[in-house]
Amino acid sequence: MKHGFNSLAVKGILKAGDVIIPGDTTMPRFSQTTFIREFDRISEFMDPADRSGFKLLMTLMAFMPSVVILFILKVASHHQKFPDFIGAILRQINLGMKGVILTMYYSGIGEQGDAILQKLNYSTAINTPVDQDIELENLMKQNHPLENYAPLNPKEMMLKSRQAHLDISALSLKERVAFITRLRLVLLERQEEITDIIQKETNKARTDIMTSEFFPIFEHLEFLEHKTLEALKEEKVATPIAMMGKASKIWYESMGTVLVISPWNYPFYQAIAPITCSFVTGNATIYKPSEITPLKGLVESVLFAAGFKPEWVQIAYGDGKTAADLISERPQKIFFTGSVGTGKKIMSQASQFLIPVELELGGKDPMIVFEDANLARAVKGAVWGAMTNTGQSCTSVERLYVQEKIYNQFRDAVVGEASRIKVAVDRDGDGDMGHMISPKQVQIVADLVKDAVSQGAKMLTGSSWDFKSSQIPPIVLEGTTHSMRINKEEIFGPVLPIMKFRDEEEAINLANDSDFGLSASIWSKDKARAERVARQIVTGNISINNVMVSEGNHHLPFGGVKDSGIGRYKGVMGLRNFCNVKSVMVDADSKKIEANWYPYSPKKYELFKGLTTSLFTGGLKKWTGLVRFGLPLEGHSQKAKRE
Amino acid sequence: MQIHSSYDAIIVGGGVSGSFMAQELAAAGWRTLVLEAGRSFTRTTYPALEIDSNSQLYWGGGVELNTSASLALLRPKVVGGGSIVNQALMDRFDDIALDSWKQESQVNFFNSEVLSPWYQKAENELSIQKVSEQYRNGNAKIFADGFKANGFICAPLTRAQKDCRFEDGNDCIRCLSGCPIDSKQSTPVTTLKKALKAGCQLISEFEVQKIEDKKDHTLVGGKWKNGGQYLFSARKVILAAGAIGNSRLLLQNDFKKSLPALGEKFYTHPQYMVIAMYDHEINAHKGPLQSYKSQDPHFRAKGFKLENVFAPPVAISMLLPQLGKKHMAKMKEITKMACIEVAVRDTNPGKIKINNQGRPIIEKELNEEDEKRKRAGMDAIHAIFASTGAREVIRGDLGIGLHLMGGCSLGADEKKFVTAPDFTLHGHRRIVIADSSIFPNAPGINPSLTIMALSKMAADQMIKEGL
Repeated sequence: MKHGFNSLAVKGILKAGDVIIPGDTTMPRFSQTTFIREFDRISEFMDPADRSGFKLLMTLMAFMPSVVILFILKVASHHQKFPDFIGAILRQINLGMKGVILTMYYSGIGEQGDAILQKLNYSTAINTPVDQDIELENLMKQNHPLENYAPLNPKEMMLKSRQAHLDISALSLKERVAFITRLRLVLLERQEEITDIIQKETNKARTDIMTSEFFPIFEHLEFLEHKTLEALKEEKVATPIAMMGKASKIWYESMGTVLVISPWNYPFYQAIAPITCSFVTGNATIYKPSEITPLKGLVESVLFAAGFKPEWVQIAYGDGKTAADLISERPQKIFFTGSVGTGKKIMSQASQFLIPVELELGGKDPMIVFEDANLARAVKGAVWGAMTNTGQSCTSVERLYVQEKIYNQFRDAVVGEASRIKVAVDRDGDGDMGHMISPKQVQIVADLVKDAVSQGAKMLTGSSWDFKSSQIPPIVLEGTTHSMRINKEEIFGPVLPIMKFRDEEEAINLANDSDFGLSASIWSKDKARAERVARQIVTGNISINNVMVSEGNHHLPFGGVKDSGIGRYKGVMGLRNFCNVKSVMVDADSKKIEANWYPYSPKKYELFKGLTTSLFTGGLKKWTGLVRFGLPLEGHSQKAKRE
Repeated sequence: MQIHSSYDAIIVGGGVSGSFMAQELAAAGWRTLVLEAGRSFTRTTYPALEIDSNSQLYWGGGVELNTSASLALLRPKVVGGGSIVNQALMDRFDDIALDSWKQESQVNFFNSEVLSPWYQKAENELSIQKVSEQYRNGNAKIFADGFKANGFICAPLTRAQKDCRFEDGNDCIRCLSGCPIDSKQSTPVTTLKKALKAGCQLISEFEVQKIEDKKDHTLVGGKWKNGGQYLFSARKVILAAGAIGNSRLLLQNDFKKSLPALGEKFYTHPQYMVIAMYDHEINAHKGPLQSYKSQDPHFRAKGFKLENVFAPPVAISMLLPQLGKKHMAKMKEITKMACIEVAVRDTNPGKIKINNQGRPIIEKELNEEDEKRKRAGMDAIHAIFASTGAREVIRGDLGIGLHLMGGCSLGADEKKFVTAPDFTLHGHRRIVIADSSIFPNAPGINPSLTIMALSKMAADQMIKEGL
């Protein structure tokens, strides 16, 4: 028996039960039944205070002779003869004891209960057949913001998503944008609270969350609000002269379900930005956050508050296995941000179903500082570019190349700047750099730095680190070479290897000596040189005299080359990448027979040859050709018949 | 504690008022969340046995008692609230009720002209039928015959039902724990379902414990069935947890300081079931559970009304005063029992308080006037039974409180009333109440339809005012 109803209390209940239900010729006394086993069904729902009172009463009853119990009940049934407060107690005892016993005895529990009700000649029936109200059950399940986290399996999610896609694509662009506006307002209202949640899960510096999760989300949402209508509206294009009379246009339509798989470094931004791109283009989304930073419930809650239906954007919590299961359900597009290794796995699985993939992968971004650059600014840019978000950005500065002449001076300034960084998971903005998010990444950083040091590199800062703690201090490394792992593999931590170069040519060669090509920066007063160098760097994005800014402008597309990924996102181009770009030609429903249709004939062949020559020779011939060959060809085609 | 989620409107209580308001607000595009302490059931999952329906559909594991244990308060705790466990009797208030409200509250819209369109709108949400006399049972026949013999006037009941299919042999007593064929127009199949379809969210088994007004939003917090504490924020909060639920929540959160009338003016229409024994089979549990009500202006003037009614075996066994073998012998005659209840239009206001565990303490007694009304009703019942051949009449002395009203009564004076005439809490613009807790006194008429109408009216005002 639950709730501490021990054998003594049970004995009391049975004893009281037999006083209330002593049995007669046809019906059993209470203790002859097994109803006591059903007592949990009552006690479970009792108020705790009532329960302990009842338990005490029943324990007392266990020690009382039955006649005393009978006497108490008889007195209790004459409660109105007693003063109020005693009457109240008597009534409570009476109701409590009778309530429990009679409920068990007359409820019709099991065969015994049925038999008792039969003796009373009491039976009720509902004979109208009914089926389960599945609609209501589903509504209750789907509209439950807490239960909703109970995961659906990938198949169910995809099914739900198909229906959701129909709903979303039926919304006008304007209606979709209205949801984006609403989302922006919801996020504005909840900034501090959301920051708390992100910080709890990532241990970031608070300002990092503000500047690199929140601010860009708002820039992005505002971009969508201003540009979606223009970017996705029907686009008219030219129609060649040979197709005169027809109209040509492009429709930017939705694709279906977009599977968004996001990393842990910017868990909120990397959720909201792709989800909203997918949404405004009319797609349903299944979003799989990193299992390291799931921010459980947060994305659902902000989307819900903005009016999104839960099925429009479904969240699939889980690891790589979950992602693989989702891919096998054949979404119409995969948008992945993360590591090169996982990107390759995803692409290889997607290739089986020919699912288009967009891969936003890692980087090994070079920063090239020429001797004529504004040094104070470049130093600050280098240290921030390497350390912001604790170095856990795909566009972090991972290789710093400084021209020989200023190298020593620049290095010393970088060391000074780096050692002034305040490492803290701050509550008020007074911390520069937070801790690492993923223990696995801490290990990688440790391995890479150790490898470099073992080959002769020197830690100019950060030597206090024990190579274990997630509180990695800013590490500036000198004396690394391109043969070391640290300059080949992505570090994704607060580490800045600093190297020197002689001239432009060497700088370009060093920068391009990498498997990655995500972004880069060139620092020089000489704009012509900077641009000359920038054009020769093999990369998806480049900043001149600044660092990590090209991705800050949401009108610019973003994406990498080489191992840094496939495709572009953000900007009008990026938005259209979530679309099925449908080409449309419209002709009149006329009687006209096209010249290139059957039947062919020697005459038609000659006329076509003449038309082709004159149309594509250039100059005035185009127009004379149209008259000489085009018109007769048209005329001929209307009449031509093959007997 | 972090805010789990924010809403335009959070509705505390998924009963009649909560469901009706949820429907309106969700349809207007408001992001709406309903928090309900009870569980959610559907037609095929309602508990079938009394042991389970009593414990799972009501607070306190079945009944709560007033401090003198003379009144058993039946307070529903289930998604759909009263519309699941009550008999869904639908009557508009008459001028007697509305005039007394107007007088008590000094609020002018309590008149049939203003309320009529709102009643109409509420009625449009439901299928409302007169209970057909074709399938009436022996209990109903005694009621009608007794009324006729005594020159009393009765009328068929008006009920929110769609198709009870008595031709199939259905016994409506079962729908006291939820209608298994969805004929009764419980809100999960009417307004609440519409609300859910319009995107309203619902968390059942969530007990709200905290409500706190902030500068530009209101926090609502509580405990979910998993034991987890959750906090939500809302631009508007609708309290629809009934007289005791609303009062308890506000008392627990120290609103009594600014609202001195909080928890006062609590009424229950105390009901007393009187059983009579006949020599022949009555089978009061067969077919339509209830068929008639008194429609006698003299009864109305004397402050009571009668209905034919019955209850399943456990409840009947609780009403019988006998003990032991005598009690068992009486129970064996359950099919020969007729039963009429008197509902008193009570005049003595009760008081809702909480103890230091936050549990409601209900001080509610009958005063002399109420006793007089009860006696007048009992006398009428005796006359009815006497004229129809009853061999014995058993007066249960346990009162039942089913219509739990007041505690947050509506009126202009903020010292004497809790809810302002625009349905907001006095001094708290973002908290709205339109359920039975705002009733300024006992109308003497079943409250359900009026709760629906007032909820419609309040929701309309909220939507017009905007967020």
